[in-house]
Amino acid sequence: MILMNYIAAFFLIVLGLYTIVTKYNLVKTVIGLSIMDYGVNLLIVSIGFNPGGTAPIFTISELNPSSFFVDPIPQALTLTSIVIGACVTAMSLALVMKIYEQYGTMDTREVRRLRG
Amino acid sequence: MMNVLSYQHYPIYAIMLLFLGAFLIVLFGKNRIARHCLALLSVGGSLALLCLLIPRVMLGGEIITYWLGNRSVAGGFAFGIALEVDALSLFFGLLIATAVFVACVYSIKYMEHDDNIPQYYTLFLMLAGGVMGLVLSGDLFNMFIMVEILTFAAVALTAFRNTARGALEAAFKYLVVGSIGSTCILAGTIMLYAQAHTLNFAQLSSLIPGNFNGATRVAFALLFVGFSTKAFLVPFHPLAADAHGAAPASISVLISGVLTKSGIYGIIRLAYFLFQSMDQATIRWMLVIVGSVSMFVCVTMALAQHDFKRLLAFHSISQIGYVLTAVGLSSLLGITAGLYHAMNHTIFKGLLFLAAGAVMHETGTTDLNRLGGLSKRMPHTTVLFLIGAASISGIPPFNGFASKWMIYQATYQAAVDTNNIGYLLVTIVALVTSTLTLASFVKVSQSVFFGQLPEEYKDVKEVPFGMRLGMGMFAVLCILTGLLPNLVTKYLTAPAAHAAQSAARYINSALGGSVAPAETALPEAVGAWNPINWLLLLGIALLALTFVALLGKYDRVSENASGEKLAPKYDVFFSGEKSEYSQVGGGDLFWGFKQNWRHYFSFMHDLHSGIVNDYALWAVVALALAIVFLQIVL
Repeated sequence: MILMNYIAAFFLIVLGLYTIVTKYNLVKTVIGLSIMDYGVNLLIVSIGFNPGGTAPIFTISELNPSSFFVDPIPQALTLTSIVIGACVTAMSLALVMKIYEQYGTMDTREVRRLRG
Repeated sequence: MMNVLSYQHYPIYAIMLLFLGAFLIVLFGKNRIARHCLALLSVGGSLALLCLLIPRVMLGGEIITYWLGNRSVAGGFAFGIALEVDALSLFFGLLIATAVFVACVYSIKYMEHDDNIPQYYTLFLMLAGGVMGLVLSGDLFNMFIMVEILTFAAVALTAFRNTARGALEAAFKYLVVGSIGSTCILAGTIMLYAQAHTLNFAQLSSLIPGNFNGATRVAFALLFVGFSTKAFLVPFHPLAADAHGAAPASISVLISGVLTKSGIYGIIRLAYFLFQSMDQATIRWMLVIVGSVSMFVCVTMALAQHDFKRLLAFHSISQIGYVLTAVGLSSLLGITAGLYHAMNHTIFKGLLFLAAGAVMHETGTTDLNRLGGLSKRMPHTTVLFLIGAASISGIPPFNGFASKWMIYQATYQAAVDTNNIGYLLVTIVALVTSTLTLASFVKVSQSVFFGQLPEEYKDVKEVPFGMRLGMGMFAVLCILTGLLPNLVTKYLTAPAAHAAQSAARYINSALGGSVAPAETALPEAVGAWNPINWLLLLGIALLALTFVALLGKYDRVSENASGEKLAPKYDVFFSGEKSEYSQVGGGDLFWGFKQNWRHYFSFMHDLHSGIVNDYALWAVVALALAIVFLQIVL
């Protein structure tokens, strides 16, 4: 059921945002970012899905008006988005590590030298 | 087959040069000479290529559509990935290329003593390439990719001096909220794709307007919030302050002058092209109110700062508020004024950040309470800083005056045209903000460049020539764009403003329809002024000041009849006991004002708590408000 996918996608996005807003651990913030990203990825793939469609692998001669396949563009977009999500996670974890070295804490409430 | 040197290829070359430079510096960056040559060549080449397009795009009104891999339109449906350069794209592209070039010149000396300089230049060029790709792209998903590239590069560069106070923290906060913004852009993009089944910007612009439904409205809100994070509009302004304060000065120039412009560009494309909703008064008000609030909140935040670069960062967002307000008016005069101010903002903000970097380079601090009296040790930097400060405060004949004057006129005109008193209030907010900006810069000049020189900075020297050259370029641009507003309007801002208003030409150019000739009418300014007169006035005032100063100096030591020097206390006008020098600290200058507003200031101080969860919460609230608001009004 495709509707389930959409509900799950928005649930994941909201869950991610909820994690970022309410959790005070730097690593949990990073996890929240990832969850949000997965939600968007699920949304993208679901948008390209046609129930009953085949894989979008054709040569030009095989294509005819009756061929029915899932939309390939969102899949390409998802791949790009997954790569970017991995980069975000890697970079933010690197920053978290450095912050822990300097501040000696993982609590976002104590990482606030810049304020006001 | 197109000739590979024909002008249609210039936009892609301008982007490729920057990314190629980044790649080559990874390979050959160990060598100092090679590194600088590569960086300067790629940014200079990119700037030159865009300059070559000025006659065709700005004056001829041509729109260059370039299809990657030559996969273009078939059956009225865009298949390939496009670059589309109209006057608006080129205008922002030129701004970016200029700022990047000057920052690159400045970096050579400024970053000399840092480690990992090759990585610095790689990221620098990635950031430049990302923004360039964003403004020249004609594909919504490509815009998202470029947004991600520039966010990454900006985060990495913010944390570049990771031992500096708060650098890592600023980078992390920026990454978290910036990622929320990027995810918003991606979600908005894909929701539009679900409705229109295309990612080509021109095709989306032809399909979406007039066919609004729940999903497209949510997409509008998502994209608007996403681009607002990139422009650091309220409520995303604390990130800008953190990031600017911690990053090296040459990167602050890019973040404030270039990155914020990419957000403004995105909002213009979104509101004027993708949804073409600027004919609705509520959407205009949305932009104007977000702009006015950013303008006012950030200038008051700036007044309370005691870190040089943090203060400049808040001013930067305040000026971006001006740009958005003017652009949101949707009149020709308004857009022209907004774009003019966007250009001036890049120039004077760049100059001010570079001056702050010069102070940082020599003294090692940007704390306003510890600095003072540097005008004696760094006279050139002082003069350059004062030019920038006069520009941002809107003092004639510098460029800030020209554009702010146009913004006041545009808001006033909107009030007259629509009979809406609200626009008049916006004019007043803009004027008050400008006054507060001036007040704040009086404080900075007093704290940093005038007053007493602290003992520990007795041996401070002027910065190397390479850094003064970078600042000088911006200063010359400040004066030129202030003295020649008519030329700037005619050749740069008016064509771009017309491009923003003619979405049909943009669509037809990409999809192969007939393209109407470009409009060329200049906006009608109400109150004419001649900048040359202002320059003369300033010159006369300066001469008079010098004259009086010299008079005082030579008269101070009087002689009696036998040639003995008398103490000055017997002089006619300069008599009196020698006074004890007392320093007026910059923080004390506006004591009464701050005292009266102390509740507001302490409220704002507590609000900007520095906890990343709070800033994320603001982002979520902004997103929710935008979604609800747009569902109701659009």
